[in-house]
Amino acid sequence: MTTVVLAGPAGESAHDGGPHPESPARVVAAMKGVHDLHLGSDLVTVDVGPASREDLARVHSLRYLDELEAFSGRGGGALDPDTFVTSDSWDAACRAAGAGLAAVAELERRRDGVGFVAARPPGHHAVRSRGMGFCLLNNVAVTAASLVAGGARVAIVDWDVHHGNGTQEIFWDEPAVLYISTHQSPLYPGTGRPDEIGGARARGKTVNIPLPPGATGDVVSLAFSEVVAPAVDSFVPDWILVSCGFDAHRADPLAELALSSADFAALAATVQQLAPCGGRTVLFLEGGYDLQAVRRSTASTIGALVGDRTFPEDPTFGGPGADAVRAATMLRERALSEVDKECSGGGSLDAPHTGSRGAPTTRLRSDW
Amino acid sequence: MSVPRLIAVGYDGSADSVAALRWGAEIASTIGARLRIVHAVGLLEHAGLSGRCSPHEQAATDVACRVGLDIAQVEWRVRDGEPAAVLRRETLGDDAADLLVVGTRGAGAHGGGTLGSTSLDLAQTATVPVVVVAG
Ligand SMILES: [Zn+2]
Repeated sequence: MTTVVLAGPAGESAHDGGPHPESPARVVAAMKGVHDLHLGSDLVTVDVGPASREDLARVHSLRYLDELEAFSGRGGGALDPDTFVTSDSWDAACRAAGAGLAAVAELERRRDGVGFVAARPPGHHAVRSRGMGFCLLNNVAVTAASLVAGGARVAIVDWDVHHGNGTQEIFWDEPAVLYISTHQSPLYPGTGRPDEIGGARARGKTVNIPLPPGATGDVVSLAFSEVVAPAVDSFVPDWILVSCGFDAHRADPLAELALSSADFAALAATVQQLAPCGGRTVLFLEGGYDLQAVRRSTASTIGALVGDRTFPEDPTFGGPGADAVRAATMLRERALSEVDKECSGGGSLDAPHTGSRGAPTTRLRSDW
Repeated sequence: MSVPRLIAVGYDGSADSVAALRWGAEIASTIGARLRIVHAVGLLEHAGLSGRCSPHEQAATDVACRVGLDIAQVEWRVRDGEPAAVLRRETLGDDAADLLVVGTRGAGAHGGGTLGSTSLDLAQTATVPVVVVAG
């Protein structure tokens, strides 16, 4: 059986904004989902410490880090109409950002298993210079940037119902990171069009598949089989990180996709098939605001990764969006070919891969 | 710079945003520009959980018309996203705004400093002139 490396809980009591859907209870619900699986010795829990300044500074500006720490130190307040900061938010955010690093360290030590980060506040909306959309620090990006600094190639698969604008922005021009998102559109944050394909050094390394409200699991699975899997496969990542939001669940109050917990299991199974040698896969809790859905979806998702396929809900079928998946593919190909034309005679889409500091990356896939 | 043809005003119903709207409408009326009133919808408002009433098109356009702007020159636009990012997108592509107008502080805004400030964000990142109107 696959070992599950659990980094968390983190944020299960701190960073409490009162009556707000992004609550400590979300992590408690995710933890219940993990424990529902009764994994016994196949569950390994690692201690979570705060991410260091160096880790955070790879993805956030020093000015923002200073301001956020000071704002929290003064007691906090509203960062924007969605996002709150409390007196303990800075510490909570640093722990959430450090959780992925702890999971990676343990997976590297074990050379086997899959990681799950049960931490909040979530991260994928946080851009380099500010937090937004309930997110303060970009947890998945902190881990990805750390891996890239070590010479790895990282694929980030984001199945949260919202587009991960922060992650996309941070790695927009980073050829060692492939960012792929399925998300509802239109919806906050309004980004994630298929023709957003990455910066000059990383053309094609950003992949967006917007889906209409009501899209069901079969549609998201179609996106995974027709777009996500080929993109990850050809990228040949050393690590796969998943922005594992459960707010695409049909019960979620913040959005209108129509997945069940069983559908997340199918997506997880696809990711597992794409996983690099030795696992090297970490799932990060992002959104998900219906507590029962979070619990069930956590259990289903991790269950799929460890071979437990008893799901309390059935997979969903028949929603709209298959044409949106094809349209996204077409729009993306058109955008790529337009860039190709612009570049003809002056550079290549597949420029040599370089790490975040310009050093050549090392292919680690078979390095275990 | 050339005279603005399309002015986009950030509007969330707060007192500061009403002041920005009034100023933008007066300028639009004076120079013969169109006015686009832009409301950014966040995560909580989308779900009806913001604890505030969503701004109404009628109330916003009434403010613009009261300062003498022809209703035909006023457009109401609602977009999902964080306010600064939404307004920045209004300056891109076809029919892009060439002047942005915002209030100093919006509804539910931060308690002070530069963190989370839409006006400061736009002043630093927008590619068109930005006017910040005190309420
Ligand atoms: Zn989300």
